[in-house]
Amino acid sequence: MKATCWMGRNSVEVENVPDPKILNDRDAIVRITSTAICGSDLHLYDGYIPTMKRGDVLGHEFMGEVVEKGKGVANLNVGDRVVVPFPIACGNCWACRHELYSVCENSNPNARLAEKMFGFPTAGIFGYSHLTGGFAGGQAEYVRVPFADVGPIKVDNGLPDEAVLFLSDIFPTGYMGAEMCDISGGEVIAVWGAGPVGQFAAASAKMLGAERVILIDRFDYRLRIAEENTDVETLNYENVDSVPEALKELTGGRGPDACIDAVGMEAHFHGPLYAYDRMKQAMRMETERPFALREAIMSCRNGGIVSIVGVYGGLVDKFPIGALMNRGLSIRTGQCHVQRYLRPLLERIQNGDIDPSFVITHELSLDDAARGYELFKHKRDDCLKVVLKP
Amino acid sequence: MPVDPVRVREKDSLAQFLGWFSVSLGTAQIAAPRAMCRLVGARGNGPAPTIMRLMGVRELSQGLGILMRPRPTAWLWSRVAGDALDLSLLGVTAATNDGRRKRTAFAIANVLGVTVPDVFESMYLSRKRGEPRAAMLVRKTVTIDRPRGEVEGTWARADMLRQKIADAEGAVTFTDAPGDRGTEIAVDFLHRPRAGDLGAAAAKLAGKDLATQLSDDLRRFKQQVETGEVVRSDGTPTGHLLTTHLKQRPAQPLEEAVR
Repeated sequence: MKATCWMGRNSVEVENVPDPKILNDRDAIVRITSTAICGSDLHLYDGYIPTMKRGDVLGHEFMGEVVEKGKGVANLNVGDRVVVPFPIACGNCWACRHELYSVCENSNPNARLAEKMFGFPTAGIFGYSHLTGGFAGGQAEYVRVPFADVGPIKVDNGLPDEAVLFLSDIFPTGYMGAEMCDISGGEVIAVWGAGPVGQFAAASAKMLGAERVILIDRFDYRLRIAEENTDVETLNYENVDSVPEALKELTGGRGPDACIDAVGMEAHFHGPLYAYDRMKQAMRMETERPFALREAIMSCRNGGIVSIVGVYGGLVDKFPIGALMNRGLSIRTGQCHVQRYLRPLLERIQNGDIDPSFVITHELSLDDAARGYELFKHKRDDCLKVVLKP
Repeated sequence: MPVDPVRVREKDSLAQFLGWFSVSLGTAQIAAPRAMCRLVGARGNGPAPTIMRLMGVRELSQGLGILMRPRPTAWLWSRVAGDALDLSLLGVTAATNDGRRKRTAFAIANVLGVTVPDVFESMYLSRKRGEPRAAMLVRKTVTIDRPRGEVEGTWARADMLRQKIADAEGAVTFTDAPGDRGTEIAVDFLHRPRAGDLGAAAAKLAGKDLATQLSDDLRRFKQQVETGEVVRSDGTPTGHLLTTHLKQRPAQPLEEAVR
């Protein structure tokens, strides 16, 4: 079959690889009908996530049709149309029983590597380095789905792929970012990053009842997409001297009630601090450029919540712990526990509360995956989200 | 109630540090005697490199002795004697070679610097009495989200794992985890590395030590009990085993599905 393979830093190629096979009884094989390139795939593409191997099949946002299943999968049938969540979760361990699927205790066969890095291991993830299990991903014609009796959700409502595909990652991820802000009505929420996750975080904050949502980015086309599709305010940070100051002015001097970091480890920034962090990152002296996170902490109102859904992988530097501690802020974060949100968010889509397809700017053939990565990385041609069709 | 000491071992980190220090210095002296001679201000030709290499052999054997013995008192004192020898050789170097006195002075300062912990540790070890305690109590533990009866039942059928623990004279305890979290399994065994710290480090690096193996085994046992299978990926088709982590294949489907 054809599959998008990581061939080294800044290089992906669509290669011919063997077809996936059932390895465990609870596996299923899914024929991919739609798959997408995620912002976090760019961290792999840029070479910032360790333990990648040349030839790794990428992709953790995908959906398709079940074509084969192991004898332990009772709830799915061959022919079912399914969306597959990016974290692989067993459904049996303590973490899964408490809906903490992205820290499943059993789904990462390389748990020890993850444990060395993070203290405790995290769940397996499709196509996302060997630290998260070394599972082949879904930017391919077929994929093997472990614990297929737990993750995939059947979608037989006639909605097009484009409307439900993002249940696999970015919609629930953005939604969880907003949910962690404890919105009960009337809040002001600031969101850093108008990429697809930031778009969904902003839209979800509105859906959950926030009175005002301020979305921050430096690309006008991304901010425009948000303005057109969700009822949010926007702030281009290149037009202001200081984001925390600008947010103060926009919120009567209080600061946002909660701040969502939907940027992560490869943030941009103007000023000398950017050169400092960029250099340390290039020399591998720190793994992250945490500008968005620093700003989110400095901007948040006293006693507020900082919600982190942008991906971080290692260590940061110049972390404003003093502001965090003395002003009584709370940090909430995590890789999204996607399985928890599949059903409620599918209902939201069916009810017409949201149509997640608004983030798609490019639909390419799987053969053009390399071009898709380039477009997305360099934000060429006003690229926001690339969907690949095998 | 005090928490059980998980580590009971005699040697302290200073002795270990000095052992590794000797091993690395000795290796450098044997491998690159000329460069080391120039570093301390001696000539890179004539008899000096041969003497340097001999000192390297001495240094390396002292290092190995310290790392392999449970209580290396004599080996530590031999380091003190070695420091004295080094100082006298450097004194001769300084007296006969007037060109690079600064380098020699720097080397002398370094030797004096390490003599202090050498003497301190030698005296500390000399005060110890009784049998040296070389063994270390190792505990590996895992929580399985199942009732104790079920876990004990499955354990009783895990013959290979039970045999491995029996061979190491290990003890297994089952306890109810707090807060309805299932069952804690703890395996305790006395780890007596045959070649001291050195052997332990080598075994650990190769993933062949019992502690590493047991934590893999317990993880697999937990997977088996909780999910009914040991999860396999394309990069790690054997499931969780440290020895295979070091040589992973790319995350691409396997050519042949071996089940």
